[in-house]
Amino acid sequence: MLTIAFSELVQIFRNRLVLVTSLVIPVAVSAFFVSRHEVFAELGGLGYIAAVVVFTVAAFGLYTTTVTTLASRRQNLFLKRLRSTAASDAGILSGLLLPITVITLVQVTAILAVFAGVTGTPANVPLLVAAVAATVVMMLGLGLATAGLTNSPEHAQVTTLPISIGTIAVASWVGLTGTEELTLLKRLLPGGAATELVGNAWDGGVAVPDSLVLLAPTLGWVVVAVALASRFFRWEPRR
Amino acid sequence: MSATAKRHAEEVTWPHCRSGAATAEISGMTSAPVIDVERLNLSYGDFHAVRDLTFHVRRGEFYALLGTNGAGKTSTLEIIEGHRTATSGAVRVFGQSPRARRAVRPRMGIMLQESGFSPDLTVRESVRLIGRLTERTDQVDRVLGVVDLTHKAGTKVSQLSGGEKRRLDFATAVYGTPELIFLDEPTTGLDIQSRDDLWDAVDRLREDGSTVVLTTHYLEEAQQRADRIGLMHKGTFHREGTVADLTRTLPSVIRFTLPVPAPVLPLQATRKNDGKFVVETFALNKDLHTLLGWAQDNAVDLRDLEAGPTRLDDVFRAIGN
Repeated sequence: MLTIAFSELVQIFRNRLVLVTSLVIPVAVSAFFVSRHEVFAELGGLGYIAAVVVFTVAAFGLYTTTVTTLASRRQNLFLKRLRSTAASDAGILSGLLLPITVITLVQVTAILAVFAGVTGTPANVPLLVAAVAATVVMMLGLGLATAGLTNSPEHAQVTTLPISIGTIAVASWVGLTGTEELTLLKRLLPGGAATELVGNAWDGGVAVPDSLVLLAPTLGWVVVAVALASRFFRWEPRR
Repeated sequence: MSATAKRHAEEVTWPHCRSGAATAEISGMTSAPVIDVERLNLSYGDFHAVRDLTFHVRRGEFYALLGTNGAGKTSTLEIIEGHRTATSGAVRVFGQSPRARRAVRPRMGIMLQESGFSPDLTVRESVRLIGRLTERTDQVDRVLGVVDLTHKAGTKVSQLSGGEKRRLDFATAVYGTPELIFLDEPTTGLDIQSRDDLWDAVDRLREDGSTVVLTTHYLEEAQQRADRIGLMHKGTFHREGTVADLTRTLPSVIRFTLPVPAPVLPLQATRKNDGKFVVETFALNKDLHTLLGWAQDNAVDLRDLEAGPTRLDDVFRAIGN
């Protein structure tokens, strides 16, 4: 797995398009939110800004790169090549996705650290870690599922839009309006419960057991995504 | 020393060059099949790509899987390689399922029909990556030398020509000298020199005891090298055997033109529309001798005389007809 991961890391840093979409754009958008935190905090609170940062990096960095990478590697038969070796399917996928996952975690950690430095530390760091981890796993799962429906890297520009835009929209909706109304709907939408959890972890004021329950919908989306991925994911291009 | 005798000698001596389970197995049962295919079927909906196919490949053998376009040879090969699942039937490679990657893949090298390398990696990085994942040990520089890509070691795959990509593909297949090598259209896109170099490398692998399975559209390559050939048509074997087995079922042909008038021919011949006479024979030497003797005795000038043994091409054309 590490052999593939190292090779993938090299490829990410050599491909300018991936480098820009997975590194530069999420950081730039997050930097905007952090720099204008006083404006956005008035609208939805600091927790809202933290949630939007997490979903911006997870959607534009992790999710989009996952789909694009897998579609590209399948299209040029690199996946088939890797499957010609002794590497297992799980090892191949893990190796391909490990670098962008680590990059995402480093980005989120760094941006939130800067945000905390500017606005003050979050109320519950372990809960924030759990929320970020659940979000990352959910976006990875959705990335695998979407990759199954994506024929090429060019096609990925279209197929990734609903979930990447959708999750950020859900995060903004939940962050700005709270979950007092339409509670169930907001929590069941992908990213809704995770946004509320990030907000609770950052702002505090909610009992930890009540917040932990919010992990369930996010993990539920992981199960759905993995089920879809196992149904739709392909290792070779359609003939 | 003939190729067969040389191979036999290698079978006796080469286990000393290898280690572990492979050595024990080889020294114990040199004739055991490396590949065992029994009643293999593959269907895509209503289309039967492979029908009831049964064959075996023995250790050290050079087996060519040939066929017309869409005959099912690539599907068959991909099932044996473990890339595809059969609809029914059994496939064993080294006595195990080809999908048991950890057990089987370190012992086999696969040259795919299409490239499958990342364009952003260099030649050296590609060989190192795939080589390591095969779990065989070798030196990247040695392998690059085998395929004459040493000077391209630092070049990105995206900057290679089609022929260089094929050589890179071959390099990853032979990394660590596997016991079994699959070559899927290995010389497509290669120039003459590269083809010769590739076959020289294959010959050296065979001297080391490797088993080779080949698919190709260049029939002369199979005719020259294969111990046995499986000739596929519409998903199953049209014929299987040695080149001699396959060609002996079709007559050899003698073609010539005659001046007008000419004495009565000593052989049964057919006159074609282009004016040429054609003799079909299963006794080429004898009939050619008879014809030449007749021409000399009667002072007849046999123009445009052509004669030769039946070729694999002729067997192929016979399938189409």
